[in-house]
Amino acid sequence: MEKLTLTRTNSTILLKYAGEITLEITGDLKRRLDAELTDGDVHAVVIDLSEVPFMDSSGIGFLVSINTRMRSSGRSFFLCRLSRAVEKTLGLVQLLGFFQILTDEKALAAVCGQA
Amino acid sequence: MEDRGDSVGEEAVIRKVFRTISHPGDSRQLAKDVVRFLSQSLDDPDTLSDLDIILTEACANVCRHAYEGAPGDLEVRLRLEFGQWVELEIVDWGKGFGPEVRFENPGPESEGGRGLYIMCMLANSCQVRHQDGENVVFIHKDIGQSRWKS
Repeated sequence: MEKLTLTRTNSTILLKYAGEITLEITGDLKRRLDAELTDGDVHAVVIDLSEVPFMDSSGIGFLVSINTRMRSSGRSFFLCRLSRAVEKTLGLVQLLGFFQILTDEKALAAVCGQA
Repeated sequence: MEDRGDSVGEEAVIRKVFRTISHPGDSRQLAKDVVRFLSQSLDDPDTLSDLDIILTEACANVCRHAYEGAPGDLEVRLRLEFGQWVELEIVDWGKGFGPEVRFENPGPESEGGRGLYIMCMLANSCQVRHQDGENVVFIHKDIGQSRWKS
């Protein structure tokens, strides 16, 4: 999974995966993120989707499962930098308004605590 | 190409069959292969992306459900009438859909069950059939003339 980057800043994890998010990879992504989340100090997860040229419904399921896990424990979950393909897939199933989406770099920096 | 334009009145219909084993990587590759073939006829990135999503969802369903997660035969039968439409049959010989086929969009917190809904949204017709021992997802998509290569 050399295309996966996990960046920890204070209590926020930024996950970036460069590649197609399909059935082939969602199990691995979930396991990698679950391993990070066993550390109770993580208060927010952000997924950077800028380099995802294709996402299928198992990718949607992955995002929904992390969203449920974080928010049911009072923590935050955000998506950012949606590629055109990701926006299309989430739009088809009417989930663009369901997720919290960081719409610009300023909002992203505020969550990740970076300048 | 296996055969083309064989029946009277269907001179313009092109057919091709693609086969693989229902393993996640191979299924995604099959969808890509079909889309690459279609890109010889179709010029429009949005239409090709619709067909890519439809095929990937249908093939992923076979991977996950048809053979209880084990590898099995997966076939895509493509028919197209140039300038008019594309039809796809995604075929497996596994356990079939059963009575509870869901075409609706599930609630936002559902982790699965969106595949058929997505296919329906991107096609003019989406049917699930069981015939002669085959489980078939049938897709018909009308494609406007301007989206085809001239």
